[in-house]
Amino acid sequence: MRRAIPGSNLTNRIHESQPLRYGLGVSTFLIATCVAMFAYKIGIRNLQIPFYLFAIAITAWYAGRGPAIVSVVLSILFFDYYFTEPRFTFYVTVAEIPYFAVFAAFALLVAWFSTVRRRVEVELRQARDHLQSVNEELARRSAEVEATNKELEAFAYSISHDLRAPLRHMAGYTELLQRKAAANLDEKSNRFIAMILDSAKKMGNLIDDLLAFSRIGRAETQKSQVNLTQLVKDVLNEVRPEIEGRDITWKIGDLPEVYGDRSMLRVALVNLLSNAVKFTRTRQRAEIEIGATLENGSDPVVFVKDNGVGFDMQYANKLFGVFQRLHSSDVFEGTGIGLATVQRIMHRHGGRVWAQSAPDQGATFYFSAPRSRGTEWNPSVI
Amino acid sequence: MESIGNLGRILMVEDDSKDVELTLTALEEYNLANEVVVTRDGEQALDYLYCRGVYKLRSPENPAVILLDLKLPKVDGLEVLKKIKSDNRLKLIPVVVLTSSKEEKDMVASYKLGVNAYVVKPVEFHEFVNAIRELGVFWAVINEPPPGSIRK
Repeated sequence: MRRAIPGSNLTNRIHESQPLRYGLGVSTFLIATCVAMFAYKIGIRNLQIPFYLFAIAITAWYAGRGPAIVSVVLSILFFDYYFTEPRFTFYVTVAEIPYFAVFAAFALLVAWFSTVRRRVEVELRQARDHLQSVNEELARRSAEVEATNKELEAFAYSISHDLRAPLRHMAGYTELLQRKAAANLDEKSNRFIAMILDSAKKMGNLIDDLLAFSRIGRAETQKSQVNLTQLVKDVLNEVRPEIEGRDITWKIGDLPEVYGDRSMLRVALVNLLSNAVKFTRTRQRAEIEIGATLENGSDPVVFVKDNGVGFDMQYANKLFGVFQRLHSSDVFEGTGIGLATVQRIMHRHGGRVWAQSAPDQGATFYFSAPRSRGTEWNPSVI
Repeated sequence: MESIGNLGRILMVEDDSKDVELTLTALEEYNLANEVVVTRDGEQALDYLYCRGVYKLRSPENPAVILLDLKLPKVDGLEVLKKIKSDNRLKLIPVVVLTSSKEEKDMVASYKLGVNAYVVKPVEFHEFVNAIRELGVFWAVINEPPPGSIRK
Protein backbone atom coordinates (compact mmCIF):
# COMPACT_ATOMS: atom_id res chain seq x y z
CA MET A 1 0.00 0.00 0.00
CA ARG A 2 2.78 2.40 0.89
CA ARG A 3 4.37 3.76 -2.21
CA ALA A 4 7.73 5.48 -1.89
CA ILE A 5 8.14 9.00 -3.13
CA PRO A 6 10.37 8.63 -6.19
CA GLY A 7 14.03 9.08 -5.27
CA SER A 8 13.52 8.69 -1.56
CA ASN A 9 14.02 4.94 -1.45
CA LEU A 10 17.55 5.19 -0.11
CA THR A 11 16.52 7.75 2.49
CA ASN A 12 13.78 5.45 3.70
CA ARG A 13 16.06 2.44 3.90
CA ILE A 14 18.64 4.36 5.90
CA HIS A 15 15.98 5.75 8.14
CA GLU A 16 14.57 2.39 9.06
CA SER A 17 17.86 0.93 10.38
CA GLN A 18 19.71 2.27 13.46
CA PRO A 19 23.18 0.87 12.55
CA LEU A 20 22.92 2.33 9.06
CA ARG A 21 21.95 5.74 10.44
CA TYR A 22 24.81 5.92 12.94
CA GLY A 23 27.11 4.26 10.40
CA LEU A 24 26.33 7.05 7.99
CA GLY A 25 27.00 9.63 10.70
CA VAL A 26 30.40 8.15 11.55
CA SER A 27 31.40 7.57 7.90
CA THR A 28 30.65 11.13 6.82
CA PHE A 29 32.60 12.31 9.87
CA LEU A 30 35.56 10.09 8.88
CA ILE A 31 35.44 11.23 5.26
CA ALA A 32 35.30 14.88 6.34
CA THR A 33 38.26 14.21 8.68
CA CYS A 34 40.31 12.63 5.89
CA VAL A 35 39.57 15.53 3.54
CA ALA A 36 40.30 18.05 6.30
CA MET A 37 43.60 16.33 7.18
CA PHE A 38 44.57 16.18 3.52
CA ALA A 39 43.81 19.89 3.17
CA TYR A 40 45.80 20.56 6.38
CA LYS A 41 48.77 18.62 4.98
CA ILE A 42 48.85 20.60 1.75
CA GLY A 43 48.71 23.83 3.72
CA ILE A 44 45.04 24.80 3.70
CA ARG A 45 44.60 25.59 7.38
CA ASN A 46 41.27 27.45 7.68
CA LEU A 47 38.84 25.28 5.76
CA GLN A 48 38.39 22.38 8.23
CA ILE A 49 35.18 23.62 9.79
CA PRO A 50 33.17 23.80 6.54
CA PHE A 51 34.16 20.18 5.80
CA TYR A 52 32.70 19.09 9.13
CA LEU A 53 29.60 21.22 8.72
CA PHE A 54 29.06 19.63 5.38
CA ALA A 55 29.36 16.16 6.93
CA ILE A 56 26.95 17.12 9.72
CA ALA A 57 24.43 18.49 7.22
CA ILE A 58 24.51 15.27 5.21
CA THR A 59 24.16 13.16 8.34
CA ALA A 60 21.25 15.25 9.64
CA TRP A 61 19.55 15.19 6.30
CA TYR A 62 19.78 11.48 5.68
CA ALA A 63 20.15 9.92 9.12
CA GLY A 64 18.25 12.22 11.44
CA ARG A 65 18.86 13.91 14.75
CA GLY A 66 20.71 11.26 16.80
CA PRO A 67 23.54 10.58 14.33
CA ALA A 68 23.76 14.32 13.61
CA ILE A 69 24.41 15.08 17.27
CA VAL A 70 26.99 12.28 17.43
CA SER A 71 28.56 13.78 14.32
CA VAL A 72 28.63 17.27 15.91
CA VAL A 73 30.27 15.94 19.09
CA LEU A 74 32.85 13.90 17.18
CA SER A 75 33.64 16.85 14.91
CA ILE A 76 34.15 19.25 17.80
CA LEU A 77 36.31 16.80 19.74
CA PHE A 78 38.46 15.83 16.79
CA PHE A 79 38.75 19.40 15.58
CA ASP A 80 39.90 20.46 19.03
CA TYR A 81 42.27 17.50 19.33
CA TYR A 82 43.89 17.64 15.93
CA PHE A 83 43.50 21.01 14.27
CA THR A 84 43.63 23.59 17.07
CA GLU A 85 46.70 24.62 18.99
CA PRO A 86 47.97 23.09 21.14
CA ARG A 87 47.56 20.12 18.85
CA PHE A 88 46.97 16.49 20.12
CA THR A 89 45.28 17.74 23.32
CA PHE A 90 41.67 18.57 24.18
CA TYR A 91 42.84 21.84 25.69
CA VAL A 92 40.59 24.80 24.83
CA THR A 93 41.71 28.37 25.31
CA VAL A 94 39.19 30.98 26.49
CA ALA A 95 39.56 32.82 23.21
CA GLU A 96 38.49 29.69 21.34
CA ILE A 97 35.26 29.14 23.33
CA PRO A 98 33.03 31.50 21.24
CA TYR A 99 34.47 29.92 18.15
CA PHE A 100 33.42 26.43 19.30
CA ALA A 101 30.05 27.74 20.49
CA VAL A 102 29.27 29.25 17.11
CA PHE A 103 30.38 26.04 15.45
CA ALA A 104 28.17 23.94 17.76
CA ALA A 105 25.20 26.29 17.36
CA PHE A 106 25.50 26.29 13.61
CA ALA A 107 25.83 22.51 13.53
CA LEU A 108 22.77 22.11 15.77
CA LEU A 109 20.80 24.52 13.58
CA VAL A 110 21.58 22.43 10.50
CA ALA A 111 20.59 19.30 12.40
CA TRP A 112 17.34 20.92 13.53
CA PHE A 113 16.40 22.01 10.01
CA SER A 114 16.95 18.53 8.76
CA THR A 115 14.86 17.05 11.52
CA VAL A 116 11.98 19.40 10.82
CA ARG A 117 12.17 18.59 7.16
CA ARG A 118 12.15 14.89 7.95
CA ARG A 119 9.11 15.25 10.18
CA VAL A 120 7.26 17.16 7.46
CA GLU A 121 8.10 14.42 5.02
CA VAL A 122 6.83 11.73 7.35
CA GLU A 123 3.60 13.64 7.90
CA LEU A 124 3.24 14.14 4.19
CA ARG A 125 3.72 10.46 3.62
CA GLN A 126 1.17 9.58 6.27
CA ALA A 127 -1.30 12.03 4.73
CA ARG A 128 -0.68 10.54 1.34
CA ASP A 129 -1.14 7.01 2.64
CA HIS A 130 -4.33 8.06 4.36
CA LEU A 131 -5.57 9.74 1.21
CA GLN A 132 -4.74 6.67 -0.78
CA SER A 133 -6.60 4.37 1.58
CA VAL A 134 -9.57 6.76 1.55
CA ASN A 135 -9.45 6.73 -2.24
CA GLU A 136 -9.36 2.96 -2.31
CA GLU A 137 -12.27 2.82 0.08
CA LEU A 138 -14.14 5.28 -2.10
CA ALA A 139 -13.47 3.25 -5.23
CA ARG A 140 -14.64 0.11 -3.46
CA ARG A 141 -17.82 1.83 -2.27
CA SER A 142 -18.57 3.23 -5.68
CA ALA A 143 -18.12 -0.23 -7.20
CA GLU A 144 -20.52 -1.53 -4.57
CA VAL A 145 -23.05 1.19 -5.33
CA GLU A 146 -22.76 0.45 -9.01
CA ALA A 147 -23.35 -3.25 -8.39
CA THR A 148 -26.37 -2.43 -6.22
CA ASN A 149 -27.72 -0.16 -8.93
CA LYS A 150 -27.31 -2.88 -11.50
CA GLU A 151 -29.11 -5.28 -9.22
CA LEU A 152 -31.91 -2.77 -8.70
CA GLU A 153 -32.19 -2.27 -12.41
CA ALA A 154 -32.43 -6.01 -12.99
CA PHE A 155 -34.98 -6.15 -10.21
CA ALA A 156 -37.11 -3.40 -11.72
CA TYR A 157 -36.81 -5.06 -15.09
CA SER A 158 -38.01 -8.34 -13.74
CA ILE A 159 -40.92 -6.62 -11.97
CA SER A 160 -41.83 -4.93 -15.20
CA HIS A 161 -41.74 -8.18 -17.09
CA ASP A 162 -42.60 -11.01 -14.77
CA LEU A 163 -45.12 -9.35 -12.50
CA ARG A 164 -47.14 -7.88 -15.29
CA ALA A 165 -47.59 -11.13 -17.22
CA PRO A 166 -49.55 -13.11 -14.60
CA LEU A 167 -51.51 -9.98 -13.80
CA ARG A 168 -52.50 -9.61 -17.41
CA HIS A 169 -53.59 -13.24 -17.45
CA MET A 170 -55.70 -12.79 -14.32
CA ALA A 171 -57.38 -9.74 -15.77
CA GLY A 172 -57.72 -11.23 -19.23
CA TYR A 173 -59.25 -14.53 -18.26
CA THR A 174 -61.49 -12.91 -15.68
CA GLU A 175 -62.82 -10.60 -18.35
CA LEU A 176 -63.29 -13.55 -20.69
CA LEU A 177 -65.18 -15.33 -17.91
CA GLN A 178 -67.28 -12.24 -17.36
CA ARG A 179 -68.23 -12.12 -21.03
CA LYS A 180 -69.06 -15.78 -21.22
CA ALA A 181 -70.87 -16.25 -17.94
CA ALA A 182 -72.21 -12.84 -16.89
CA ALA A 183 -75.72 -13.63 -18.09
CA ASN A 184 -75.86 -16.83 -16.05
CA LEU A 185 -74.42 -15.42 -12.83
CA ASP A 186 -76.30 -13.71 -10.02
CA GLU A 187 -75.61 -10.12 -9.10
CA LYS A 188 -73.22 -11.00 -6.29
CA SER A 189 -71.05 -13.21 -8.47
CA ASN A 190 -70.88 -10.50 -11.08
CA ARG A 191 -69.82 -8.03 -8.40
CA PHE A 192 -67.05 -10.40 -7.33
CA ILE A 193 -65.80 -10.58 -10.88
CA ALA A 194 -65.89 -6.79 -11.12
CA MET A 195 -63.84 -6.61 -7.92
CA ILE A 196 -61.22 -8.97 -9.28
CA LEU A 197 -60.94 -6.84 -12.37
CA ASP A 198 -60.77 -3.65 -10.35
CA SER A 199 -57.99 -5.06 -8.18
CA ALA A 200 -56.03 -6.26 -11.16
CA LYS A 201 -56.26 -2.79 -12.63
CA LYS A 202 -55.06 -1.24 -9.39
CA MET A 203 -52.16 -3.64 -9.24
CA GLY A 204 -51.28 -2.72 -12.80
CA ASN A 205 -51.25 0.97 -11.87
CA LEU A 206 -49.16 0.19 -8.83
CA ILE A 207 -46.55 -1.62 -10.88
CA ASP A 208 -46.46 1.19 -13.43
CA ASP A 209 -46.11 3.88 -10.78
CA LEU A 210 -43.45 1.95 -8.93
CA LEU A 211 -41.48 1.48 -12.12
CA ALA A 212 -41.82 5.16 -12.98
CA PHE A 213 -40.59 5.98 -9.48
CA SER A 214 -37.57 3.73 -9.78
CA ARG A 215 -36.83 5.05 -13.24
CA ILE A 216 -36.59 8.60 -11.88
CA GLY A 217 -33.79 7.40 -9.64
CA ARG A 218 -31.96 5.56 -12.39
CA ALA A 219 -32.38 7.79 -15.43
CA GLU A 220 -29.80 10.38 -16.41
CA THR A 221 -31.13 13.90 -16.18
CA GLN A 222 -31.02 15.94 -19.36
CA LYS A 223 -31.20 19.53 -18.28
CA SER A 224 -32.11 22.57 -20.32
CA GLN A 225 -34.05 25.81 -19.95
CA VAL A 226 -37.69 24.86 -19.47
CA ASN A 227 -40.56 27.29 -19.97
CA LEU A 228 -42.90 26.42 -17.09
CA THR A 229 -45.86 28.31 -18.56
CA GLN A 230 -45.71 26.15 -21.66
CA LEU A 231 -45.14 23.00 -19.61
CA VAL A 232 -48.17 23.71 -17.40
CA LYS A 233 -50.28 24.16 -20.55
CA ASP A 234 -49.13 20.78 -21.85
CA VAL A 235 -49.80 19.15 -18.51
CA LEU A 236 -53.29 20.66 -18.33
CA ASN A 237 -54.05 19.06 -21.68
CA GLU A 238 -52.88 15.78 -20.26
CA VAL A 239 -55.11 15.90 -17.17
CA ARG A 240 -58.11 17.16 -19.15
CA PRO A 241 -59.80 13.73 -19.33
CA GLU A 242 -59.76 13.61 -15.54
CA ILE A 243 -61.61 16.93 -15.23
CA GLU A 244 -64.41 16.18 -17.64
CA GLY A 245 -67.67 17.38 -16.10
CA ARG A 246 -65.98 19.14 -13.22
CA ASP A 247 -66.33 22.79 -12.37
CA ILE A 248 -62.78 23.96 -11.91
CA THR A 249 -61.49 27.51 -11.90
CA TRP A 250 -57.86 27.58 -12.96
CA LYS A 251 -55.71 30.52 -11.99
CA ILE A 252 -52.35 30.47 -13.67
CA GLY A 253 -49.95 33.21 -12.67
CA ASP A 254 -46.64 34.26 -14.11
CA LEU A 255 -44.35 31.27 -14.21
CA PRO A 256 -40.60 31.49 -14.56
CA GLU A 257 -38.27 29.72 -16.89
CA VAL A 258 -36.27 27.16 -14.95
CA TYR A 259 -33.29 24.96 -15.60
CA GLY A 260 -34.04 21.25 -15.35
CA ASP A 261 -35.00 17.98 -16.99
CA ARG A 262 -38.14 18.74 -18.97
CA SER A 263 -39.67 15.28 -18.89
CA MET A 264 -39.03 14.87 -15.17
CA LEU A 265 -40.44 18.31 -14.35
CA ARG A 266 -43.44 17.37 -16.45
CA VAL A 267 -43.99 14.19 -14.41
CA ALA A 268 -43.75 16.27 -11.23
CA LEU A 269 -46.30 18.80 -12.49
CA VAL A 270 -48.66 16.07 -13.70
CA ASN A 271 -48.57 14.55 -10.23
CA LEU A 272 -49.12 17.85 -8.43
CA LEU A 273 -51.93 18.99 -10.75
CA SER A 274 -53.79 15.69 -10.80
CA ASN A 275 -53.50 15.61 -7.01
CA ALA A 276 -55.08 19.06 -6.86
CA VAL A 277 -57.82 17.87 -9.22
CA LYS A 278 -58.37 14.69 -7.24
CA PHE A 279 -58.56 16.21 -3.78
CA THR A 280 -60.97 18.97 -4.83
CA ARG A 281 -63.43 16.44 -6.19
CA THR A 282 -65.77 16.86 -3.25
CA ARG A 283 -65.98 20.62 -3.86
CA GLN A 284 -68.86 22.10 -5.79
CA ARG A 285 -66.50 24.54 -7.38
CA ALA A 286 -62.84 23.69 -7.35
CA GLU A 287 -60.20 26.40 -7.42
CA ILE A 288 -56.69 25.54 -8.41
CA GLU A 289 -53.96 28.14 -8.61
CA ILE A 290 -50.52 27.71 -10.08
CA GLY A 291 -48.05 30.48 -9.50
CA ALA A 292 -44.56 31.40 -8.46
CA THR A 293 -42.91 33.66 -5.96
CA LEU A 294 -40.03 35.45 -7.59
CA GLU A 295 -37.56 37.12 -5.34
CA ASN A 296 -34.49 38.84 -6.62
CA GLY A 297 -31.38 36.77 -6.19
CA SER A 298 -33.06 33.60 -5.05
CA ASP A 299 -34.48 30.74 -7.02
CA PRO A 300 -38.15 30.89 -7.87
CA VAL A 301 -40.57 28.86 -5.77
CA VAL A 302 -43.50 27.41 -7.70
CA PHE A 303 -46.73 26.57 -5.91
CA VAL A 304 -49.89 24.63 -6.69
CA LYS A 305 -52.74 25.69 -4.46
CA ASP A 306 -56.15 24.06 -4.21
CA ASN A 307 -59.30 24.44 -2.13
CA GLY A 308 -59.69 20.69 -1.63
CA VAL A 309 -59.96 18.51 1.43
CA GLY A 310 -56.42 19.26 2.62
CA PHE A 311 -54.65 17.30 5.32
CA ASP A 312 -53.52 17.55 8.90
CA MET A 313 -50.00 19.03 9.09
CA GLN A 314 -49.03 16.49 11.76
CA TYR A 315 -48.86 13.90 8.99
CA ALA A 316 -46.90 16.16 6.64
CA ASN A 317 -43.77 14.06 7.11
CA LYS A 318 -45.57 11.03 5.68
CA LEU A 319 -46.78 12.92 2.66
CA PHE A 320 -43.78 12.22 0.45
CA GLY A 321 -43.07 8.62 1.48
CA VAL A 322 -43.57 5.74 -0.92
CA PHE A 323 -46.94 3.99 -0.44
CA GLN A 324 -47.95 6.58 2.14
CA ARG A 325 -51.52 7.72 1.92
CA LEU A 326 -53.41 10.18 4.07
CA HIS A 327 -56.82 9.27 2.71
CA SER A 328 -58.50 5.91 2.35
CA SER A 329 -58.20 4.55 -1.14
CA ASP A 330 -61.97 4.09 -1.26
CA VAL A 331 -62.46 7.84 -0.98
CA PHE A 332 -59.54 9.01 -3.10
CA GLU A 333 -57.98 6.41 -5.35
CA GLY A 334 -54.24 6.28 -5.91
CA THR A 335 -51.14 4.28 -5.30
CA GLY A 336 -49.34 6.50 -2.81
CA ILE A 337 -46.33 6.90 -5.05
CA GLY A 338 -47.09 10.18 -6.83
CA LEU A 339 -45.70 12.61 -4.25
CA ALA A 340 -42.75 10.32 -3.56
CA THR A 341 -41.97 10.60 -7.25
CA VAL A 342 -42.30 14.39 -7.11
CA GLN A 343 -39.90 14.52 -4.19
CA ARG A 344 -37.41 12.29 -5.91
CA ILE A 345 -37.52 14.47 -9.01
CA MET A 346 -36.89 17.60 -6.95
CA HIS A 347 -34.03 15.91 -5.12
CA ARG A 348 -32.49 14.94 -8.41
CA HIS A 349 -32.59 18.62 -9.31
CA GLY A 350 -31.03 19.50 -5.98
CA GLY A 351 -34.23 21.20 -4.89
CA ARG A 352 -37.04 20.29 -2.55
CA VAL A 353 -40.77 20.08 -2.26
CA TRP A 354 -42.95 20.85 0.73
CA ALA A 355 -46.59 21.46 1.57
CA GLN A 356 -48.85 23.60 3.69
CA SER A 357 -52.37 22.62 4.61
CA ALA A 358 -55.08 22.17 7.20
CA PRO A 359 -57.97 19.70 7.14
CA ASP A 360 -60.73 20.98 4.87
CA GLN A 361 -58.79 24.17 4.13
CA GLY A 362 -57.16 23.17 0.88
CA ALA A 363 -53.49 22.42 0.36
CA THR A 364 -50.57 24.23 -1.19
CA PHE A 365 -47.57 22.39 -2.58
CA TYR A 366 -44.34 24.27 -3.17
CA PHE A 367 -41.19 23.34 -4.99
CA SER A 368 -38.01 25.29 -5.57
CA ALA A 369 -36.55 25.39 -9.05
CA PRO A 370 -33.22 26.72 -10.28
CA ARG A 371 -33.56 29.69 -12.60
CA SER A 372 -30.64 28.82 -14.81
CA ARG A 373 -27.64 26.59 -15.07
CA GLY A 374 -25.26 27.01 -12.20
CA THR A 375 -27.52 28.99 -9.89
CA GLU A 376 -27.80 27.35 -6.54
CA TRP A 377 -31.09 26.01 -5.35
CA ASN A 378 -32.44 28.05 -2.55
CA PRO A 379 -34.19 25.80 -0.11
CA SER A 380 -35.96 28.68 1.59
CA VAL A 381 -38.96 27.66 3.62
CA ILE A 382 -42.17 29.60 3.37
CA MET B 1 -68.62 -11.11 -37.77
CA GLU B 2 -67.62 -10.18 -41.24
CA SER B 3 -64.92 -12.29 -42.68
CA ILE B 4 -61.81 -10.60 -43.86
CA GLY B 5 -60.40 -11.79 -47.11
CA ASN B 6 -56.85 -11.82 -48.29
CA LEU B 7 -55.47 -12.53 -44.88
CA GLY B 8 -51.75 -12.80 -44.31
CA ARG B 9 -50.16 -15.46 -42.17
CA ILE B 10 -49.10 -14.39 -38.70
CA LEU B 11 -46.10 -16.01 -37.02
CA MET B 12 -46.44 -15.69 -33.27
CA VAL B 13 -43.39 -16.30 -31.08
CA GLU B 14 -44.58 -16.62 -27.50
CA ASP B 15 -43.52 -19.03 -24.76
CA ASP B 16 -46.35 -18.42 -22.32
CA SER B 17 -49.31 -20.67 -23.13
CA LYS B 18 -51.71 -18.32 -21.34
CA ASP B 19 -50.58 -15.45 -23.50
CA VAL B 20 -50.90 -17.62 -26.60
CA GLU B 21 -54.48 -18.45 -25.71
CA LEU B 22 -55.35 -14.85 -24.87
CA THR B 23 -53.87 -13.62 -28.12
CA LEU B 24 -55.61 -16.30 -30.15
CA THR B 25 -58.87 -15.50 -28.40
CA ALA B 26 -58.43 -11.85 -29.22
CA LEU B 27 -57.66 -12.64 -32.85
CA GLU B 28 -60.53 -15.10 -33.07
CA GLU B 29 -63.00 -12.38 -32.20
CA TYR B 30 -62.08 -10.81 -35.49
CA ASN B 31 -61.63 -14.03 -37.47
CA LEU B 32 -57.92 -13.47 -37.61
CA ALA B 33 -56.87 -16.62 -35.77
CA ASN B 34 -56.91 -19.15 -38.58
CA GLU B 35 -53.65 -18.20 -40.13
CA VAL B 36 -51.62 -17.96 -36.97
CA VAL B 37 -48.58 -20.17 -36.53
CA VAL B 38 -47.43 -20.39 -32.94
CA THR B 39 -43.82 -21.13 -32.03
CA ARG B 40 -42.84 -21.39 -28.41
CA ASP B 41 -39.25 -20.22 -28.36
CA GLY B 42 -36.69 -18.38 -30.47
CA GLU B 43 -35.16 -21.57 -31.80
CA GLN B 44 -38.52 -22.86 -33.06
CA ALA B 45 -39.25 -19.50 -34.64
CA LEU B 46 -35.97 -19.60 -36.53
CA ASP B 47 -36.65 -23.22 -37.51
CA TYR B 48 -39.93 -22.07 -38.96
CA LEU B 49 -38.40 -19.13 -40.81
CA TYR B 50 -35.60 -21.26 -42.24
CA CYS B 51 -37.92 -24.23 -43.00
CA ARG B 52 -35.90 -26.67 -40.95
CA GLY B 53 -36.62 -29.24 -38.23
CA VAL B 54 -40.34 -29.88 -37.87
CA TYR B 55 -41.05 -27.14 -40.40
CA LYS B 56 -38.98 -28.77 -43.13
CA LEU B 57 -42.01 -29.48 -45.29
CA ARG B 58 -43.93 -26.21 -44.93
CA SER B 59 -44.61 -24.04 -47.96
CA PRO B 60 -41.64 -21.74 -48.29
CA GLU B 61 -43.36 -18.33 -48.29
CA ASN B 62 -42.64 -15.91 -45.50
CA PRO B 63 -45.30 -14.90 -42.95
CA ALA B 64 -46.97 -11.51 -43.47
CA VAL B 65 -45.97 -10.41 -39.98
CA ILE B 66 -44.10 -11.77 -36.96
CA LEU B 67 -45.43 -11.09 -33.46
CA LEU B 68 -42.36 -11.49 -31.30
CA ASP B 69 -42.12 -11.70 -27.52
CA LEU B 70 -38.77 -10.62 -26.08
CA LYS B 71 -38.40 -12.97 -23.16
CA LEU B 72 -38.09 -16.40 -24.71
CA PRO B 73 -36.35 -19.63 -23.77
CA LYS B 74 -33.21 -20.75 -25.64
CA VAL B 75 -32.89 -17.92 -28.18
CA ASP B 76 -34.39 -14.67 -26.87
CA GLY B 77 -36.48 -12.23 -28.87
CA LEU B 78 -33.75 -9.69 -29.52
CA GLU B 79 -31.50 -12.42 -30.94
CA VAL B 80 -34.29 -13.64 -33.19
CA LEU B 81 -34.89 -10.07 -34.32
CA LYS B 82 -31.20 -9.58 -35.02
CA LYS B 83 -31.08 -12.76 -37.05
CA ILE B 84 -34.13 -11.82 -39.09
CA LYS B 85 -33.00 -8.29 -39.81
CA SER B 86 -29.52 -9.36 -40.82
CA ASP B 87 -30.73 -12.00 -43.28
CA ASN B 88 -31.48 -10.75 -46.77
CA ARG B 89 -34.28 -13.25 -47.30
CA LEU B 90 -36.01 -12.45 -44.02
CA LYS B 91 -35.33 -8.80 -43.35
CA LEU B 92 -38.35 -7.59 -45.31
CA ILE B 93 -40.80 -9.39 -43.04
CA PRO B 94 -42.46 -6.85 -40.72
CA VAL B 95 -41.65 -7.69 -37.09
CA VAL B 96 -43.80 -6.44 -34.24
CA VAL B 97 -42.36 -6.82 -30.77
CA LEU B 98 -45.20 -7.68 -28.44
CA THR B 99 -43.94 -7.72 -24.90
CA SER B 100 -44.72 -7.16 -21.25
CA SER B 101 -41.70 -4.97 -20.84
CA LYS B 102 -41.99 -1.22 -20.83
CA GLU B 103 -38.27 -0.93 -20.29
CA GLU B 104 -36.71 1.72 -22.42
CA LYS B 105 -33.59 -0.29 -23.03
CA ASP B 106 -35.57 -3.12 -24.66
CA MET B 107 -37.38 -0.60 -26.79
CA VAL B 108 -34.19 1.13 -27.88
CA ALA B 109 -32.46 -2.19 -28.58
CA SER B 110 -35.42 -3.38 -30.68
CA TYR B 111 -35.60 -0.21 -32.75
CA LYS B 112 -31.85 -0.27 -33.26
CA LEU B 113 -32.20 -3.77 -34.68
CA GLY B 114 -34.84 -2.49 -37.08
CA VAL B 115 -38.13 -3.57 -35.52
CA ASN B 116 -41.23 -2.35 -37.37
CA ALA B 117 -43.37 -1.77 -34.31
CA TYR B 118 -43.08 -2.10 -30.55
CA VAL B 119 -46.21 -2.87 -28.55
CA VAL B 120 -46.44 -3.23 -24.77
CA LYS B 121 -49.14 -5.70 -23.85
CA PRO B 122 -51.78 -3.77 -21.92
CA VAL B 123 -52.79 -5.23 -18.56
CA GLU B 124 -56.50 -4.76 -19.18
CA PHE B 125 -58.01 -7.39 -21.38
CA HIS B 126 -60.20 -5.25 -23.58
CA GLU B 127 -57.23 -2.99 -24.24
CA PHE B 128 -55.17 -6.07 -24.96
CA VAL B 129 -57.84 -7.33 -27.35
CA ASN B 130 -57.97 -3.94 -29.05
CA ALA B 131 -54.22 -3.85 -29.41
CA ILE B 132 -54.07 -7.36 -30.85
CA ARG B 133 -56.98 -6.70 -33.16
CA GLU B 134 -55.48 -3.51 -34.48
CA LEU B 135 -52.15 -5.22 -34.94
CA GLY B 136 -53.74 -8.17 -36.68
CA VAL B 137 -55.92 -6.06 -38.91
CA PHE B 138 -53.14 -3.67 -39.79
CA TRP B 139 -50.33 -6.11 -40.46
CA ALA B 140 -52.27 -9.11 -41.77
CA VAL B 141 -54.94 -7.25 -43.74
CA ILE B 142 -54.29 -3.58 -44.43
CA ASN B 143 -50.55 -3.66 -44.86
CA GLU B 144 -49.22 -4.90 -48.18
CA PRO B 145 -46.55 -7.38 -47.16
CA PRO B 146 -43.35 -7.63 -49.15
CA PRO B 147 -43.40 -10.00 -52.14
CA GLY B 148 -42.96 -13.63 -51.20
CA SER B 149 -45.35 -13.57 -48.23
CA ILE B 150 -48.22 -15.93 -47.72
CA ARG B 151 -51.64 -14.56 -48.63
CA LYS B 152 -54.74 -16.61 -48.72
